[in-house]
Amino acid sequence: MKSFFDKGYQTPLWFKEKEFAKKVLRQQMSRRNILKSAAGATGMLVLPALAIDSPIQKSLARSKQTDPWLTLDATLAHLLPTSATGPSAGDINALPYLYQVMTVQPTLPEEKEFIVKGVGWLNGFANSEYSKAFVLLSINEKELLLRGISRSRAGENWLNTLLNYIFEAMLTPPAYGGNPNGIGWQWLDHQAGFPLPEKGQRYFELPARGKAKVKRTAKNTIPLRNIEMKRSTKA
Amino acid sequence: MNNINEVDFDICIVGSGAGASPVAYTMAKAGAKVLVLEKGPWLTEKEFFKDELAISIHDAYNPKLSEEQHVIEEEYEDEEGNSFWQGEATSDSGWTWWNGTVVGGSSNFMSGYFHRLKPIDFRLKTEFGAIDGANIADWPISYAELEPYYAMVEREIGVSGRVVEHPHQEPRSTDFPYPPISEVPMSSWIDKAAKKIGYHAVPVPRAVLSQPAMGRRSCEYSGYCSSYGCSSGAKGSGRAALLNHAVATGNCTIKPNAKVHKIATDAAGKITGVHYYDAQGRPKSVNAKTYVVACQAVETSRLLLASTGEKFPNGLANNSGQVGKNLLFSGGGTGSGDFIYDQLSEQQVKELKVVGPFVNRALQDWYQIDDKAFSGANAKGQAKGGTIDFLFHQNPIARARGTQWGVDSEGEDKLLWGEELKQSIKREFTSYKTLRFEVFNDWLPTDDCFVSLDDEVTDKWGDPVAKVRIGYHGHDLEVGEYLSLKAEKLLVALGATNISSSVSGYPATNLMAGGCRFGDDPKTSVLDKNCQAHEVDNLYVTDGSFMPTGGSVPYTFTIYANAFRVAEHIKQQWFNNRKIFSARGVNTPLHS
Repeated sequence: MKSFFDKGYQTPLWFKEKEFAKKVLRQQMSRRNILKSAAGATGMLVLPALAIDSPIQKSLARSKQTDPWLTLDATLAHLLPTSATGPSAGDINALPYLYQVMTVQPTLPEEKEFIVKGVGWLNGFANSEYSKAFVLLSINEKELLLRGISRSRAGENWLNTLLNYIFEAMLTPPAYGGNPNGIGWQWLDHQAGFPLPEKGQRYFELPARGKAKVKRTAKNTIPLRNIEMKRSTKA
Repeated sequence: MNNINEVDFDICIVGSGAGASPVAYTMAKAGAKVLVLEKGPWLTEKEFFKDELAISIHDAYNPKLSEEQHVIEEEYEDEEGNSFWQGEATSDSGWTWWNGTVVGGSSNFMSGYFHRLKPIDFRLKTEFGAIDGANIADWPISYAELEPYYAMVEREIGVSGRVVEHPHQEPRSTDFPYPPISEVPMSSWIDKAAKKIGYHAVPVPRAVLSQPAMGRRSCEYSGYCSSYGCSSGAKGSGRAALLNHAVATGNCTIKPNAKVHKIATDAAGKITGVHYYDAQGRPKSVNAKTYVVACQAVETSRLLLASTGEKFPNGLANNSGQVGKNLLFSGGGTGSGDFIYDQLSEQQVKELKVVGPFVNRALQDWYQIDDKAFSGANAKGQAKGGTIDFLFHQNPIARARGTQWGVDSEGEDKLLWGEELKQSIKREFTSYKTLRFEVFNDWLPTDDCFVSLDDEVTDKWGDPVAKVRIGYHGHDLEVGEYLSLKAEKLLVALGATNISSSVSGYPATNLMAGGCRFGDDPKTSVLDKNCQAHEVDNLYVTDGSFMPTGGSVPYTFTIYANAFRVAEHIKQQWFNNRKIFSARGVNTPLHS
C-alpha cells in the first residue's frame, strides 16, 4: 500500500475494536456483521524497522526534529489548534502523549505501523499536490490536504486514530504524559476521580500475571504415571 | 511431581471471589487450614486507581485475549433460513469475558447493588408455571433458609442501606447495619417524580461502607465507583472484606498467579489432587480433605469438564451430563434520558452537576408483573418481572469518543477537527447530563445456553478454553421491554429529553450464573442443596453456578449469601470429622 487512496485498504480489526468508529455506522452494523467483514481483512504489510523503535531516538526533544514526529506534531496542532475557545494540542501535550503511546505503552505493532505509514502517505500526498512536505504548508493548504485524505477510508481511519489520542491526551491522568495539571478536565468541567496513578502505577505497570512456560507439546503431556510404568516394565 | 508435598490443607479453594472468600473466611476463623488458589495477581488498595485507561480501555485487571480467551457460539441463519451455531474466538472479536482476574475476583469491580432475591425467586416454576423452551426449576431451598445469610453478608461485607415500605419488600430479620451512603441531590428528584406517577423509588442497598468499620475506611466519594477497584477498602470485595481477615487468622494461605487446570481423580472417583501452574508456569499439585470450586460460572464449568478421570469420562461430577448446562446471565437492557442545562434553573443545574455521591435509586414495582395486557404473562395475567436501577456514568474518554463526528453540508458524516471539534467536545461535556438506567430481569435457562470445551482454541498453558453458547429465550426480551417502558415513563416525569432504551439478547458478561445447578435429583442437577456435588463427596461449588434460575437482581449478593450458607455446612462437616478422628484416637494429619 502506497497511499491513503489505495483501493485495497480494508479497515483492520484493531481499529474496529476501538470504540471510536463512526457512531452511525456502529448502530447500523451488528457486531456479527463487523465480525464477518473483518474475516476477509488481510494482515498489514510488514514495515522495515521503524524509526520509533530506534534506540538512538531517546528523547522526544530530539525526535521531534525529524519524522514521523515532525509531521505528527504539525498534524496534531492542526487538528486541535491554538485558539481562545479551549486548549490546543500543545496545551494538552498531545505529542508527548502520542510519543509515549508509541514508545512506552504496549500499543499493538500494527497500530504503530499504521500511524507511521500515514505520515509517509501524508507527505507523499503533500509533495504531489504542493511539492512540499506537510509541515511547510500554510494552514489552508493543510486543511485542504487533510480534508482530501479524510475522504479515503485509510485517511479517515488515520485521522480518527490521531483524534482518539487527542481525547486520551486531554482526559487521562497526567502520569501518561498528557493533560498537564488536568487542563483538559478543567476545560470540560470534568471532576476527575482519586487516587490517580503516578508513573510506576500506570496500567502497563501493574503487577504481572502468571507466566506459561513453552506451550505443552505432545511429548511433555505424557502423564508421569505412564513414564513410570514404562520404566517398571523394563526393570 | 512438584507437589506442595504434604496432604496438609483441610480445604483447597479454587478461585477467590464472592463465592470463594466466604468459605475461606469461615473455615480459617474456625481453625481449618485453608489454601486459596487464584489465577490472577494479589493486588491491594494501593493498586487500584481511577484510571479509565486501566479499567475500561485496556482492561488491565484481566488477561490478554491472545493469552486466555473464550469461544462464543452465536446462532446464524443460512440462505435457506436454517439456523446453525457458529463459534468465534474472543481474541478475534475483542469481546472479553473476563470480569476481574485478581485476588477477590470480579467483586473488586462490582457496582455493589445489593438487592436480595425475593421469596418468589426460589419457586419460579410453582409461582408462574412452565414456559415453553425454558428449563425452569424451583430451588431446593427457600428464601427463609437463605435469609439469615443475607443478614450475615450485610454485617460481614458491610452493606449500607435504608429499609422503606414497598409493595415488593422482601421479609428481613434485621435492619441494615450501616446507614445509606451519601446521595446526589438528583436522587430526591427521582423520589418526587416517582411519587407523582405512582411508582415507589427505593434506595439501593450498596456493598459500600458509609462508615469506617472492620479495619476498612469508609467511602471517599471519588465519583468513579462501579467498575473501578476501590482504593479506600469501602467496597465489599471478597478480598477487602473477607480474605484479608482470613489471612490474618494465620490459617489461610493465598497463592496468587496459580492457574488450576485439572482436579484429578483415581479409579474409584476419589479426588487425588488439584493440578495447577505456578507463577513461573511450573506444574504443581496439592491435596486437601475438601475441595471447593468457585471460579465464576463459565470457568467453574470449564474446570469440571476438563477434569476427566476413569470414573468421570465426561468431566468431574458430570456423569449426569449436567455440568455447564443451563448457564444464566441477566436479561434486560439499558436506557437513558438527557437533562439539558439550558432548560433548567441555575439551582437545578448545580444539583445535577454534583459528582461523588451516588444516585442509589431503584424501581421494583414490577418485580412481579400483574398485568393482563402484558403479552408474556401466564393465564392469570402474571409474570416474573424485575428491577430497574438508575445511575450516572463518569468515564470522560468514552464520552469524548463520538464528538469527532459531524455532518457536512450534504448530510454526510464527516470527521470534525479544529474549531468545530473544540465546540463539539465542549458542548458534549458542558451542556447536558445523561441519567441512565439498567434493567435486570430473569435470563431463563434454556438448552441453547451452556458451557463446553472448545476443540481447537487453547489458553497460553495449552488447555482447551471454554466455549459458551449464548442463546436466549424470547420471553426475556418481552419482560425487559416491559420494564424499560416503565423506566422511560419515570424519565419523562423527570423532564428528561432524548429518552431511549435498548433491550437485547446479548448477555452482559459480568452477570453470570448457573452451569452446575443445585437440586434434589442427581439426574437433573450437579449439586445437592448444600452445593456438594452429587457424585463426589468432598467437592463443593460455591460461586453462582448453583443457581437453577437467577432472579432479577445482580448476582453478587446472593452468591455471597449462599457461599456463607454452604461454608456453615462445610464447617459442620469438618467439626464432625474431627470429632470422629478424636474419638478414634487418630491425629488429624492437619494440625499435628
